[in-house]
Amino acid sequence: MTSLRRPAARRGGPLGGEGRWALLFLAPTILGLTVLSAGPILATLGISLTKWDLLRPPQFVGFDNFVQLAHDDRFLKALRNTIFYTVVSVPLGLTVSLGLALALNQTIRGIAWIRTAYFLPVVTSTIAIALVWQWIYAPDAGLLNQVLGLVGIPGRKWLIDPTLAMPSIVIMSVWQGLGTNIIIFLAGLQAIPSELLDAASVDGAGRWARFRNVVLPLLTPSMFFTGVLSLIGSFQVFDQIYVLSRPRPTDATITVVYFIYENGFKFFKMGYASAASWILFIIVAVFTAVYFRSQGRWVHYQ
Amino acid sequence: MSTSTATRSPWPRRFRTTRRAILIGLLVAGGLLMMVPFLWMISTSLKTRAEVFAVPPTLFPARPRFENYAEMWDALPFAGFFVNSVKLALLNTVGQLISCSMAAYAFAALRFRFRGPLFGLLLVTLIIPFQVVLVPNFVLYRLLPHPLSTSGNWIGTQEPLWVGAFLGGAFGTFLLRQFFLSIPRELGDAARVDGANPWQIYRSIYLPLGKPALATLAIFTFMWSWNDFINPIIYLRDVESFTLTAGLSLFQGQYVGKWPLLMAGALVSVIPMIILFVVAQRQFVRGIAMTGIKG
Repeated sequence: MTSLRRPAARRGGPLGGEGRWALLFLAPTILGLTVLSAGPILATLGISLTKWDLLRPPQFVGFDNFVQLAHDDRFLKALRNTIFYTVVSVPLGLTVSLGLALALNQTIRGIAWIRTAYFLPVVTSTIAIALVWQWIYAPDAGLLNQVLGLVGIPGRKWLIDPTLAMPSIVIMSVWQGLGTNIIIFLAGLQAIPSELLDAASVDGAGRWARFRNVVLPLLTPSMFFTGVLSLIGSFQVFDQIYVLSRPRPTDATITVVYFIYENGFKFFKMGYASAASWILFIIVAVFTAVYFRSQGRWVHYQ
Repeated sequence: MSTSTATRSPWPRRFRTTRRAILIGLLVAGGLLMMVPFLWMISTSLKTRAEVFAVPPTLFPARPRFENYAEMWDALPFAGFFVNSVKLALLNTVGQLISCSMAAYAFAALRFRFRGPLFGLLLVTLIIPFQVVLVPNFVLYRLLPHPLSTSGNWIGTQEPLWVGAFLGGAFGTFLLRQFFLSIPRELGDAARVDGANPWQIYRSIYLPLGKPALATLAIFTFMWSWNDFINPIIYLRDVESFTLTAGLSLFQGQYVGKWPLLMAGALVSVIPMIILFVVAQRQFVRGIAMTGIKG
């Protein structure tokens, strides 16, 4: 195809302009959107209105699944736990990683090695990591109880005690997620022009004033972005629940995604699992929309 | 804060040096604290059954027991899990590189009707948790016939774990588009005057110049596939087809409380990612930062 005709001559194709070429380049993506991501969201809604075990044909039941979910204690616990997880882990993760990023934003020898230590948990699989934490939290000879024992504090059943189980999972997850936030904050910090900080010092601004009035406002876009990532990620929590709540999550640790997995792929209640998926979708959409709308009030773009 | 501002700090010089030493000390201590689970994993994986329960706990096993690794390796077909994880991670990486770079080129360099709405739709899927579409995807793969599967469809095969990677993805397309936008349009325009078509421009200009972003996407996709857990446990049925994450979870169920073996298994499954990270740390950091700043 070495025609000298300009593609503009083909104007009026299916998508207009360079439409035919665009269609070629976008064919895989359009197929993926249709059958794997955007399309199936509508399919989830359709399936959620049925009773379907995959063996017999689906039976239309209207909104029965949603009504049943509203009265299902396990689902309500899953919702409560997921929201607890989000509300605690997102602000905690952001605050700790912001502090660490400020501290790590130094030009000293060996800082790269120290940073690596904070990034490493990000790249390792949650399954392997959760296995280690299960051992750390183990009631008999786990590291945490052993260390507490050395200073005379009695050990706990971290993952079994209903009041401690979810906080224990949050701590592991925050530890694992710090690196991602730190990287984004460091990039944001390094993008702050040093002239601005110098100008503030010349004007007599102290360390705290510089942080409060120069660094923090310029860092709000990074904070907004890490917030979105953490928010979306926290609604998807599953792997650590699966490993740390063996053999099966109690009501203290079940999350919405685990609930979907259990009903869809263990009990083969496709309609019921789809209804729960649709509720998860709406919750994430609402949280994200509210978060995006709050943007104007606290995020400063240069 | 940069060094130029530090020199103008209002604090007395000696006080500043002490502050800095304390800060560095805290950072090193924090870094060690972050590493504790990894050290504990390595340490436990080399202990005897008796030493595991020693009070107080030891960091360095009295007599390192390397046989734990051999026992772990023979307990389940770990070599097979390893091969499966590598194979799936490579297929996913190739699929994402091809399909996302094509879409990203179209969004960055071609003009066509519906470009904005289509890109918007793609961005929306970036925000939707993929777990929301688990059920319809499962139903779809169950409808597709498969000649080699005992179920007759794609359930129980590895195909659902990689075919989708060839059908684009919001994260990769977004990442590459941002990078492609920074490539001067004049390069493509000049090639076009010389008679090159968009496919040739994509192949000979955008792909070579996009290498840094492609490397970043490759690493992220590889890591995502390597660490994926929910998809393997939903679609895979035979132990022979398991990935490392699925195999490790099976191992956990069968060897409850046998911490040295479990830790050996966990360590073997994370080592490839740690090596990849140390080798390609720059791409990792740039990838997260790149999407972060421009997001």
